[in-house]
Amino acid sequence: MSAPAAARFVGTSVRRVEDDRILSGRGRYIDDIRLPRMLHGVFLRSSIPHGRLTGVDLDAARGLDGVVAIITAAELEGVAHPLSTRPDVPDVARPVFTVLASDRVRHVGDPIALILAETRHQAEDARDAIVVDYEPLETVASIEQAEDPARPSLFDDTDSNLLYTEATDYGDPDGAFAGARVVRASFAPARVAHVPMECRGGVADHHPGTGELVYYATTQSPHALKLGLSGVLSQPAEKLRVITPDVGGAFGQKAMLNREDIVVCAASKLAGRPVKWVEDRIENMTAATHARSETVEIAAAIDDDGAILALDVNLKIDVGAYPALPFPPSFLGPIVRTMVTGPYRIEHLRWANTVFQTNKASYGTYRGPWAIESLVREVLIDRIAYELGLDPVEVRRRNLVRMDEQPRKMATGPTLEGVMALETLERASELIDQDSFRREQADARAQGKLLGLGFATYIEPAPGPPDFMSSVGMQLPDERAVARLEIDGHLTVITAQAPHGQSHETTLAQVAASEFGVPLEHVRVVHGDTQQTPFSIIGTGGSRAATMASGAALHATRAVKDKVLEMAGNMLEISPGDLEIVDAVVMPKGDAERGIPLAQIAMAAYFMGVEGEDDGLRSTAIYHQPPGGWSGGTHACIVEVDPQTGVVEIKRYVVVEDCGELIHPAIVEGQIRGGIAQGIGIALLENALYDEEANFLAGTFMDYLVPTSMEIPTIEIEHLHSEPLAEVNYRGVGEGGTIAAPPVIVNAVADALGGASIGVVPMTPEYVLALVDEAGI
Amino acid sequence: MSVQVSLTVNGVERSAAVEERRTLADFLREELGLTGTHLGCEHGICGSCTVIVDGVSARSCLMLAVQADGAEVTTIEGLLEGGELGVLQQACRDSHAFQCGYCTPGFLMTATELLSENPNPTESEVREAISGNLCRCTGYESIVQAILLAAERGA
Amino acid sequence: MKPPAFRYLAPHTLEEALALRAEHAGDSAVLAGGQSLMPLLNLRMAFPGTLIDVGRVSELAGIREWDGGVAIGAMTRQRAAERSKLIGERAPLVAKALPSIGHPAIRNRGTIGGSIAHADPAAELPAVALALDAELVAASSSGERTIPASDFFAGYLTTSLAPDELLVEIRLPSLPDGHGSAFVELARRHGDFALVGVGAAVALDAAGAIADARLVFIGVGGAPVRAHEAEALLRGATPTDEVYAEAAERARDEIDPGSDSHASGAYRRRIAGVLAQRALREATP
Repeated sequence: MSAPAAARFVGTSVRRVEDDRILSGRGRYIDDIRLPRMLHGVFLRSSIPHGRLTGVDLDAARGLDGVVAIITAAELEGVAHPLSTRPDVPDVARPVFTVLASDRVRHVGDPIALILAETRHQAEDARDAIVVDYEPLETVASIEQAEDPARPSLFDDTDSNLLYTEATDYGDPDGAFAGARVVRASFAPARVAHVPMECRGGVADHHPGTGELVYYATTQSPHALKLGLSGVLSQPAEKLRVITPDVGGAFGQKAMLNREDIVVCAASKLAGRPVKWVEDRIENMTAATHARSETVEIAAAIDDDGAILALDVNLKIDVGAYPALPFPPSFLGPIVRTMVTGPYRIEHLRWANTVFQTNKASYGTYRGPWAIESLVREVLIDRIAYELGLDPVEVRRRNLVRMDEQPRKMATGPTLEGVMALETLERASELIDQDSFRREQADARAQGKLLGLGFATYIEPAPGPPDFMSSVGMQLPDERAVARLEIDGHLTVITAQAPHGQSHETTLAQVAASEFGVPLEHVRVVHGDTQQTPFSIIGTGGSRAATMASGAALHATRAVKDKVLEMAGNMLEISPGDLEIVDAVVMPKGDAERGIPLAQIAMAAYFMGVEGEDDGLRSTAIYHQPPGGWSGGTHACIVEVDPQTGVVEIKRYVVVEDCGELIHPAIVEGQIRGGIAQGIGIALLENALYDEEANFLAGTFMDYLVPTSMEIPTIEIEHLHSEPLAEVNYRGVGEGGTIAAPPVIVNAVADALGGASIGVVPMTPEYVLALVDEAGI
Repeated sequence: MSVQVSLTVNGVERSAAVEERRTLADFLREELGLTGTHLGCEHGICGSCTVIVDGVSARSCLMLAVQADGAEVTTIEGLLEGGELGVLQQACRDSHAFQCGYCTPGFLMTATELLSENPNPTESEVREAISGNLCRCTGYESIVQAILLAAERGA
Repeated sequence: MKPPAFRYLAPHTLEEALALRAEHAGDSAVLAGGQSLMPLLNLRMAFPGTLIDVGRVSELAGIREWDGGVAIGAMTRQRAAERSKLIGERAPLVAKALPSIGHPAIRNRGTIGGSIAHADPAAELPAVALALDAELVAASSSGERTIPASDFFAGYLTTSLAPDELLVEIRLPSLPDGHGSAFVELARRHGDFALVGVGAAVALDAAGAIADARLVFIGVGGAPVRAHEAEALLRGATPTDEVYAEAAERARDEIDPGSDSHASGAYRRRIAGVLAQRALREATP
């Protein structure tokens, strides 16, 4: 039909649509929503990690001013079904648990009751008046303890704390390891927390007269949330609507069907009034999800030139007490397994993965959920380099899949195509000027100062090639978008995305306005309301938006444009192929004098109707995953380690990456910098720490250390651009920073210490000082 | 127990009766409907709730509303000039300073104080001045650049 | 996280404040800057029956000359102290310590007296008071008394103030003219409570030997610790790296830091020695 439009707004850092409201304090976040007769709900949560609930005395609480009701597991019987991992997920243990803890609590923060009162203060006062009796049980506070059959199982209906186990060979790892030189590494990163600046919350509004339920939720997956609520509450889907207001960050934490969401919706039903729940920061730290809760052992079979022949990876994951629904415990392992060979030429892999439950908060998807693969692989590569006396860049160079070898299937299945990892490595190495650094490092060392240089090369599926999903055992539908001409000639684009900082209202408008031929201000992007938006089980996540949402928006807009040109063609008696839309005027190509304003065509379409068409020539596009789909790059960083205190300072940080064409360069850079900031936090500061009895120790910002402006250096970013493999050449970029920053900083610190063996993050000053001592410095 | 709190907010005299334990943050958001000020932690570390009280920045979650009786308070809503974005806000827009927007009110008020005390800060002074405001989305660089741009433009 | 209920009282004079403090002794908390108390209230970790807000007692704020040194009213905001020329001249160790306290918004509201009365062992101002042999003036409805800093800090968040007393003034004797001072800390992030910190002041005599040295540690136990033995070692000695290393080693034996989730006692002890040397060097005129 019509040819691709000139990318008029694409590639420019235009003003963000979102900024008008965000900069003037006129955003509308969940806590800003106020409904008439609204009740405030606060959760009573377990203060112990594991025990039987022997008594919950609500009498005093019920009698307090303003208290309207207290919802416990008893009140939810018959209202909300018990939960478990979906039955169609194979090979996992599926213990059943109630939405609110009934007979047993299984982690600090496990929700026991929801107190409803006229004000938030009254609800908290009532919560303080509740007396809970527990009979403590022995705790399972680590993977080791979860493996121990002597420890109690967390659930009565399972007899162990093992949820899932898998072992797979790709190629012939036995053959490759036989007689080969082996280099090993192991890593036990600390649990971390997502820490969006806005905590989770929801406002449930159940209308007693109609049975309709509207749930305003801080979610990045509105349709998935609706689906989950519908099932658990037996709420007919046609009477359930999820609306996302502005969301203050998520990073994967707001992709869950939270037990709290279920309780809040049920509470509104039971109370006959709207119910607002907004968790406080303690709750968010304690009971919302954590991530990176795993240990891994990796070994590489290598030859004397540093070629990596095979990997042996053993990953153990601690998913906490309950699955972070709808994600099953077996969700993460296959992605790590698929990604661990990365952009390298590694043909053989021995893989083992075991998943355990412990008395901790649930493990939820967090920006680059599979990142352990890059952490441990990139650290291992540097270890190989040290063992062989080679430059770590050289070892990478010898093993990275080159462009001329692509397309090339990874041993684990997906096709590598358009992956410029090697080029990013060369460019990063050039930017760092290694020779000059090594001289500087030697001089510094002579003065007792420790400088170190690290590299990390990675790829991320953003969204990945068409064969990515089958390799990880998932099936994700293609992305949909709707475009609709408005009666004044403006355009509405309805996306399945649910942004929470990604600026989709801007980037999708850029794509659509460029395609359609109208000013940017004539395009409005609608998202987040299940009543309006096309279905997506994901919403925003998985770095799919740049390709999939843009592609869908582009094609939906193109379909509307084609219909407009056809109408105009009839009106002007010109072939549609000879028409174009420029600045909201439909005209024969290059002939503005004979143009018709778009508004006029829109008016005609609305008034007369068009046979076979919806109002506004509304069109839905389903966009299929194009080939390629990989983003990635190389990070390099220079650190200084204080040999007397172990404090690590990042002196220079360089990124060379390829995410295809940039719709909005500033937004892309913001995603990279933000991701790296979280990666720096993982590497140096953040620890969602439990003690040996699974008591949670990081409930406030005094204990959980999120990087500030003083801990994040100015990051130098360069983009490379591989040849487009499809018309839609935008790829995601949001997760790479969080994936690559931890290994690059670990490698730099190891280098500063002459090749230290590091197996832990965060690298606290105390930990680093011990390494300094070990290195005999 | 209830107490009457009267103060000037964004140049307008406001008054309401509140519980003594009502924080200034909640008073602004609930009683006065100025929801631009956000709560990120309620223990004084994240800075999302920062407002200006009698000319200096304050974490409104760490003040009782009654402590602000008689005071002059400026919130993010008060930065608009004739209903349009002010110089600092425009600089933030032009630098694409923010993403999800939740931390934004706190940063803007902190930057407002910084620029009133130090109209030409160095990059390192800006970084230090905003180090008491947490952002999880941006990695801070865009915010630093926005404040420097605002200074250049005479915010 | 909303505060529990309390009775709120806001006296306008010191006399009124002291009367209230006496009336509600044992079940009242004093609200000064609120930067330490409000988080405790919001987190529902404190449940005072009565909150006495002394923010409207204007006579409690102010900075004045005192006996060659400087006296600071308890309600003086940390930011005002940071900007005070008098403090900069007569108690420069205070000026060195203040920028490490949190962030500007915290120092705008936080007070000198509030921080000292709160007595967090990782806080700078109690340590500075200890280092400078401050005299802490406590008032009650029955009168006034002066408590030497060495008797003031009793333990974790505990002072020797009686339940009906209010800290009203902090008197800082001056150190010899021309002395140097430094406050060096190790914190995980800028503005955080220190894992370990050291305040030092050094005055030299005409011959260049150490006439007076003060060395105080934070984050090393339930209260700030003044390293008296290390100071004794320094007095009369020449200000060399070797002497400072020796003093640091002696000081390490005078402290007994505990472990927590951020750092072990052994690490803190070691860093205390490192920072002591850095602080002494920086404080050497």
